[in-house]
Amino acid sequence: MNEEKKYQKDFFEDRIENIKAEDIRKALYVFHRKLSNQSAAYLNSCLHCGLCADSCHYYLSTGEIPSIPAYKLSLIEKIFKKHFTLLGKRAPGWVKAKDLTKDLLPEWIDSLFGRCTLCGRCSLNCSVGLNIAYLIRAARGALASVGLVPPGLQSTINTAILKGNSMALPREDWIETVEWLAEELRAEVNDPQAEIPLDRKGARLLYTVNPREPMFFPLSIVAVAKIFYAAGESWTLSSEDYDVTNYGFHSGDDNVAALISGRLVRSMEKLGTQDLVLAECGHGFNSNRWEAPEWLAKKYGFDVKSIIQIVADYIQKGRLKLDPSRNPEPVTLQDPCHLVRLGGIVEEQRYILKRAVARFIEMNPNREKNFCCGGGGGQLAMPRFAKRRLEAGKIKADQIKETEAKVVASPCHNCIDQLLELNKHFDLRVKIKTVAEIVADALVI
Amino acid sequence: MLSILRWGVIASFLICIISLIIMVLKTLSFGRKPVYAKSQGKGIRGILYAFGKGMMPWEKESTRRHILTYTGGTLYHGGIFAAFFCLFSLVMSFELSIPLKFLCSILIGLGFLSGVGLLVKRILLIPLRKISCVDDFAANLAVDVFLALALLNIFYPGLETFFYGASIILFLYIPAGKVRHCVFFFYARILFGLFYGRRGVLPRKIRFET
Ligand code: SF4
Ligand code: SF4
Repeated sequence: MNEEKKYQKDFFEDRIENIKAEDIRKALYVFHRKLSNQSAAYLNSCLHCGLCADSCHYYLSTGEIPSIPAYKLSLIEKIFKKHFTLLGKRAPGWVKAKDLTKDLLPEWIDSLFGRCTLCGRCSLNCSVGLNIAYLIRAARGALASVGLVPPGLQSTINTAILKGNSMALPREDWIETVEWLAEELRAEVNDPQAEIPLDRKGARLLYTVNPREPMFFPLSIVAVAKIFYAAGESWTLSSEDYDVTNYGFHSGDDNVAALISGRLVRSMEKLGTQDLVLAECGHGFNSNRWEAPEWLAKKYGFDVKSIIQIVADYIQKGRLKLDPSRNPEPVTLQDPCHLVRLGGIVEEQRYILKRAVARFIEMNPNREKNFCCGGGGGQLAMPRFAKRRLEAGKIKADQIKETEAKVVASPCHNCIDQLLELNKHFDLRVKIKTVAEIVADALVI
Repeated sequence: MLSILRWGVIASFLICIISLIIMVLKTLSFGRKPVYAKSQGKGIRGILYAFGKGMMPWEKESTRRHILTYTGGTLYHGGIFAAFFCLFSLVMSFELSIPLKFLCSILIGLGFLSGVGLLVKRILLIPLRKISCVDDFAANLAVDVFLALALLNIFYPGLETFFYGASIILFLYIPAGKVRHCVFFFYARILFGLFYGRRGVLPRKIRFET
C-alpha cells in the first residue's frame, strides 16, 4: 500500500473512531430529510422472506449473510423503526430496532458501501418490489454528510469538484488530446476535412465523455467521432464541462451530485445545443438522464440521450452502413445495470450489435434481469473492498465463459474497467470493447 | 360472553383499520418528491405489470428458484382470506352452505399447513433466521393460530369463543407488526410499478425490434 493510501485509510479509521455525538445526530437528520413517502413505505414493507438473497451477486458468490439484500436493508430498517414505528419505539428488541450509534457505523460502511453496487437487481426479485438500492443510496448520503465516505470514492469526488472532472485532466491537455484525436480521425476516414468539433455553438448534439477515455483509452472517442462523421452529424465536445461520470451518485450526496451534473446543463446552455448525448456509461446515464433533474429540481429544456440510442437511430434511419463480417468473432453483451435495468435502454444495444457483428450471443440472464459485473456503485474507486469486488465478479465471469464469446461488448466504461480485471483474474481470454468501437470497426465509409 | 366477544372482534377490526389508515397517512406525510425527468414509459403500465404479469412465478428468478416458498405463500394467503370470510359470516350470523364450508376448510387447511411450513423454514434456515426478528415469528404464529381455530370452528362450532379471541389478538397485532404489509404491500408495489413503468423498463418499451 502506498503512503498516501495508507494515510487515507488510517485517517478514515480515525474518523470513525472519533465520530462525535453531534455528527451522528446530523447523519440522522440528513437520513430523515432524505426519506420521502416512497422510502417510508418501503421501510414498512419488508417481509423478511429472504427471496432476494440469490438475486445479489455478492451473496451468490460468497454466501455471506451480510451480503443478503434484506440484511443490508435491515441495517437501515433498524433506524427507521426506532424512530418512526410504535413497536420500534416501545419494544425495540421485538423488531430489532436500534438507534444509529457509533458501534453501528463500521457495519453501515462495510455493508452499504462495500457490499452493494446499487445495481437494483434485488428489487426485481423482491417479493414486494422494494427499491433497496435507492434506500442504500439514501443511507450512504447520511454517512456522506458526516464525512464517512470511504477514502478512494471521496477523493474521486473531491477531484471532480475541484478539477472539473473525475480524473483531474487539465483543460489544456484535454484540448490537446482532442486535436490529436482529430488527426487520428482524419487518417482513419481518409478525409482532411474531418474534424472533432470543440465548443461549437448551436451544434445539434453535445457529446460528453468519461475522462478515463482521454486518459487511457482515447481511441474510443475516435470511434464515436467516426460514427458521427459517417452519419453526417452536427455535434460538438465541450472544452470545459464534458465529464459524464458522477461519483456523487455513488456517495449518495445529492448536493454534490447536483453540482457535478449541473455542469453538463451549464455546457448545454452555453453552447445552445439541442440534445445532450452521454458516452457509454451506466451510472452516468442514470445520473444525468433520470436523477439529475430531481437533484436540480429542474425540468430540462432538452433531451438527454445515450450514444447507444443515437447510434441505433442512425442505423434504423439508414444513416450508417455496416458490414458485420468486419467483426467476425462471436460477441456477447454486458448489460450495465444503470443503463438497462435502471435506465430503460434495453433493446438498442442489441439492435446495433446484431447489425454490426457476424455472431451475437446473449448472456443468460440478460436485459433487465442481467447480473451486475461487480464494478458499479463506486466499487472501483474503493480499494478497501477490491477483494470482495473481484469475488463478486465471479457470477459475471461465469456468465461470460458460458457464452464462449471472444469479445465482450459493454456500453459502459466502468463495466469495462471491472471486466478488464475479471478477464485477468478469471483467465477469461476475451477482448473487451465499447459498442461504439465495434460499430466503428464495421463502418463502411 | 359470545356477544361481547363478537363486539370485541368488530371493535378490534375497526381499531386495526383506523390504525392502518393513520400509518398510511403518516407515511404520506414524509412528502412526495416531485418528478422532473421526462418519462420514457407510462407509470400506469408499470403498475398494471406489477400487479399482473409481474406477480407470476415465471417472471421472477427468485420465485422460479423458490417455487415451494412461492406456492406456500400463495396458499397461506388464500387460507387467510378464507378464514376472514368465515369470521365475517360468524360475526354477521349467516350460515355458510355445505359446499362453501368444504371449500373454506380446504383453503384454510392448506393455508395453515403452508403457514407452519414457512415458520419451520424460518426456524431452520440460518440465513432466514438471521434476517428475522421476533415480530416475524410472532406474526406467523398469530396467523397460524387464527387459521387453526378458523378450521376447527368449521367442524366444532363450540370453539367460537377461541376463534373470536384469536381474531381480536390478530386484528390488534396487524398494524403493530409485520402483518401491516397487508396494506404496505400494495403501496410498495404501486411504487415499484411507477418506477419501472416510467423508465420504460417494465413492461419493456420496445423502440427497436431486434
Ligand atoms: S442493489 Fe445489487 S448489489 Fe445492492 S443489494 Fe441489491 S442486488 Fe445486491
Ligand atoms: S425479498 Fe423483499 S420482502 Fe423479502 S426479504 Fe428480500 S427485501 Fe424483504
